[in-house]
Amino acid sequence: MSLVSADDRVPPSLDLTGADPENWVEALSTPGPGQDHAMDRLHQMMLRACHHQVRRMRSSLASVGSERLDEIANQAADEAMMAVLAKLSTFEGRSRFTTWAYKFAILQSATEVRRFAWAHREVELNDATQVMECGPSPASYAEASDLAAAVRLAIDVALTPHQRRITIALLVDEVPIDVLAQRLGSNRNALYKTVHEARTRLRAHLIASGHLTTSLPKAGTS
Amino acid sequence: MTQANTPLSLQAALSLTLDTEPFLSCDDCFDLVDEYVEALLADPDHDQLAMRTHLAGCNACAEEARSLILLVAEQDGISPAPALGALEDNPA
Repeated sequence: MSLVSADDRVPPSLDLTGADPENWVEALSTPGPGQDHAMDRLHQMMLRACHHQVRRMRSSLASVGSERLDEIANQAADEAMMAVLAKLSTFEGRSRFTTWAYKFAILQSATEVRRFAWAHREVELNDATQVMECGPSPASYAEASDLAAAVRLAIDVALTPHQRRITIALLVDEVPIDVLAQRLGSNRNALYKTVHEARTRLRAHLIASGHLTTSLPKAGTS
Repeated sequence: MTQANTPLSLQAALSLTLDTEPFLSCDDCFDLVDEYVEALLADPDHDQLAMRTHLAGCNACAEEARSLILLVAEQDGISPAPALGALEDNPA
């Protein structure tokens, strides 16, 4: 299976033309014609990246027309450009400027799409475990089913109510982290830390009960 | 939304029990992702344990890293597939 789909391709109409500044930070910081050119180029880059990101995620906005999608991308590009300019002094040159700038556009547009897609959806948070394991499972999946059942029980006994609410919403109900952060007045960092601590507790409980070994599953290993 | 009797899939069970040590915050991931993506595009075998672990455990950051790979690869006229493959080998 190809890792690159048609939606992953950058819109050709937004391809950049012309020369980029040799020193972006200087060009963007120094008043004059060079700054105007650099600002134009940066905005083109932000547009390119935001349209790319919205296009990648458009399946989550199935009922939204192309005009509205363009508006989301354009607005995200404007906000990403402001973010880049605000953070300009923090650019250390560890990557190329263009790569560094693109990440702001991707973050901004992805967050906008997630929030837009969930704008009219309710997020319920429960601290009582109301999940149940899938079933019936084929005999060959008995071990997997056992793990799911053990995880369900561990959620009840090993997690705090706050950890249960956040972890179930993010990992079971698949509420996007930006959406949950917005609804709770929190941020991505705090929610991920809660999930990290919940995973640590669940693993410790399941290792103690013999349902999990210390080596499986390990993030970032194939 | 959470509802009574929501099925707990094996995929969710594995995600709930993922070992995400060493810890890296989403903000730290954002700080590092541009450098990490360029390194992966230059060498798909490039390894950075904390980034690899975070991207395996955070769907939002992983999606944004994949997207950055595609943009930079397009800009440089190179194939994103090896770098994407390196991320896909380590799904969240």
